[in-house]
Amino acid sequence: MSFIRLSFKLKEVFFVNKFIRVNMETLEVTVGTVPEKYAGLGGRALTSNFVNDEVKPTCHPLGKNNKVIIAPGLLSGTTAPNSGRLSVGAKSPLTGTIKESNTGGSSSQMLAKMGIKALVIEGMPKEDKFYIIKVTMDGVTIEEAPSQILGGCGNYEAIKVLNEKYGNHVGMALTGPAGEYRLPSANISFKDPDGNIRSAGRGGLGAVLGSKKVKGIVIDSTGASSVPIADPEKFKAASKVFAKALLDHPVAGQGLAAYGTDVLVNILNEAGGLPANNFTAGRIDHNDNISGETMNATITERGGEGKVSHGCHKGCIIRCSQWYPDKQGKYITSGFEYETIWGLGADGGIKDLDIIAYIDRAMDDVGVDSIETAVAVATAMDGGLIPWGDGEAVLKIVQEMAKPTPLARIIASGTSVVGKVCGLFRVPVVKDQGIPAYDPRSVKGIGLTYATTTMGADHTAGYCISGNILKVGADIDPLKKEGQVEYARAMQIGTAAIDSSGMCLFVYFGIADNPGGYQALIDMINAQYGLELTADDLDTLGKAVLKVEKDFNTRAGFTNHHDRLPEFMEYEPLPPHNEVWNFTPEEIDEVWNF
Amino acid sequence: MTKSGTFDPMTDEKKQLEIRGFLQLDAFLKKKYGTMPVFYEIDGPITGIELAKELGIKREDIEVIFVNGFVQEVNYTLNPGDRMAFLPPGCPGPYRIALGFYGKNQDNAANFKIQRKDSK
Repeated sequence: MSFIRLSFKLKEVFFVNKFIRVNMETLEVTVGTVPEKYAGLGGRALTSNFVNDEVKPTCHPLGKNNKVIIAPGLLSGTTAPNSGRLSVGAKSPLTGTIKESNTGGSSSQMLAKMGIKALVIEGMPKEDKFYIIKVTMDGVTIEEAPSQILGGCGNYEAIKVLNEKYGNHVGMALTGPAGEYRLPSANISFKDPDGNIRSAGRGGLGAVLGSKKVKGIVIDSTGASSVPIADPEKFKAASKVFAKALLDHPVAGQGLAAYGTDVLVNILNEAGGLPANNFTAGRIDHNDNISGETMNATITERGGEGKVSHGCHKGCIIRCSQWYPDKQGKYITSGFEYETIWGLGADGGIKDLDIIAYIDRAMDDVGVDSIETAVAVATAMDGGLIPWGDGEAVLKIVQEMAKPTPLARIIASGTSVVGKVCGLFRVPVVKDQGIPAYDPRSVKGIGLTYATTTMGADHTAGYCISGNILKVGADIDPLKKEGQVEYARAMQIGTAAIDSSGMCLFVYFGIADNPGGYQALIDMINAQYGLELTADDLDTLGKAVLKVEKDFNTRAGFTNHHDRLPEFMEYEPLPPHNEVWNFTPEEIDEVWNF
Repeated sequence: MTKSGTFDPMTDEKKQLEIRGFLQLDAFLKKKYGTMPVFYEIDGPITGIELAKELGIKREDIEVIFVNGFVQEVNYTLNPGDRMAFLPPGCPGPYRIALGFYGKNQDNAANFKIQRKDSK
C-alpha cells in the first residue's frame, strides 16, 4: 500500500488555534494559525463564515470547488457539560444551500484538546482512490484507505477495522457506503465513545467528503493537553451553575433521560401535529406502538445490553440517547430519535418499533440521514414504489444502499427526487430537504422556521432561546399566526449562537426558563476566553451567522421565493384540526426583518 | 358498567371521557386501568384538576392537559365525550413554546421552574 507521509511535526507548531488545510488534489497539508477574521469564532459561526468566504456559491457541491470544514465549538474540549458537539460545513448537494451539520461523538473534544480550531478538506484527488486522513499530535498523514472497508462495507465493520489498525482510543469521521457513492442523503458518520455511530446527518455532507475521496478521518489525541482556560475558578463556578440548571429542569433532567426525544410521539399526536401517511393526516391510532413511553418500557423489560439513558459524548448530562436491544437483549441501535421513528412509524405507517430500530441501524451502517431517508420512504409509499407500512421492504432497500441498487439510489437521493420520480405534487420539502416531524399546518411557528432557515427544512434551526422569547411564547397558539414570526426569528437567532458554542442544542431545554442557566453559559465562554460577553452579544453573534449564511444562499441563486412551504399545504387541510398553511409571502419574509 | 373500562359507543359515548397519560403517567394509567386510552364515566362537566384527583394523579405531575387536540390549563372544564390527555413536565423546550404551553401557564409559576422532587 502506498503511504504518503507529510513531514512536519505538529508538536513544534501545534499549541492552540491551529487551522489545518488538507488539499486532496496535491495530497498536501498546511498548518497555520486561525486567520484573524475568524478569531473568536467556533462551531457553526466558523464553518458558515468560512464557507461563505471560500466556497464558490454557484459551484457544483460534488465538484472540486466545494470545501468541507470541521470545527469544534467554542466550549468543546472543556469540562462544560454537553459541550462535545462538532460542526461540519460545506455547500450541500441535497439543497444547494450553505449547510452546517452538527454531531456528537468523540471527535469535537479531541480536536479541541489538540488545539485544532478547524480542519478544512479541499480539492479532489486525481486518482480514483479513497484515503484516510490521520491527525495526531505528531503530524497529519494521508494514507490509502484499507481495501476491506471500501465498496459497500458498513460503518460498524469499518469502525472495527480501523480500531484494530489505529487503536480503540481514536476518534473517527467516516464516509459510509452512501457517501462513497455520493448519494445526496449521505451522512458523515462519527464514532461515539462506545464505538457506535453518531451522524452529521442533514444535507448530504457525506457525499461531499466522498467526492473528495476521503473515506475517513482518524483523530488520535494522545499527548494533547487540556484546553486553556483564562479564569479557571470562574469557569468552574459557572459550569456548576449550568449543570445544576440542566439537571434541575424536568425536561432535561428527567423527561429526555427517561423517554428520549421519542417522548414527542404522543405529544405531537395529541396536538394533531404528527404528520402521517405522507403528510395527509396529523394523528395516528398506533402511536402507542412507537412512543417514547413504549420504548422505555421495552428497553426496561428486555434488559440485556439495553440502556434507557445514554450520552452521545463524554460530559453529556442530559443523556437523551439510549441503547435499544432486540428481544434477546442484544444491542440494535442507539440515538434512536423521535424524527426517525416518526418518519418511518407515522409518516410511513410502520407499526413495529423493532423493525424501525433495525432500519435505523441499517441507515447508520450505510451512512444516510435518517430524517431524509424516512421522509423519502413515506413519499415513495405515496408514489407506489413501496407498500405502505412495509418495514421489511424498507429495511432491504436501505441495506441495498451499500451496493447500491437503482431503487436504493432513488430513495437515498432524497424526498424531492422521489417526488419527481413518482410524479407527485405532495412532496414535503423546503429547498429540497425533507420536512421533519412537526406539521407546519398545526404547529405554525415551526413552519416559519422550515420556510426561512438557510438550511432547508430543519427543525433544529429554531431550537434555542433568544432575547425575550418567553414573553413571545406566552402569546403563542400553535394554530394561529400571532407571535409566530417573532418566535421563528428569535429561535433561529438563538440557535445559531448555541450552534457556535459547541453546546448540544438540548441544553436549551434546561435553560429556557432559567435566566441563571443562560447567564452561566455565557459566563463559561467568558471565563474560557477572558471575555465579557453579554446575552446581547450572543444575539448579535446569532444574527451575524444567519446573515452570512443568507448571503451565501443569495449568491448561490436563492431568493425569497425559495423561502416557501410546499404548495399542497396551502390547499390540503390537515386532520384533525383541518388547518392549512395560511401565511402570506410578505408575512413569511418578515422573519428576516432584523 | 364500572367507572372505567372498554368503550362502547352505542351506550357510553355521551357519558365518557377518553383519557390518556404521557411520560410517567402512561405507565401509571396502564397499570391502574390495564389499558390506554382509559374510558372513564363522568356524570357531567369536570375540571382537569378534579379529574386528576379522582384518578390519583398528583398535581405536580401535570404541566398542561390536552382537550380534543388543544392545549388547555389544568383547571379547564371537561365534558362527557371529550378526548383528553394529562401531560407531565418533560416536553422538550421548543415545543413547550410552539405548542402553546406558555400561554396556558401564566398563573402557574410552578410550571416554569419545577424543582426536582429530591430537591424540594
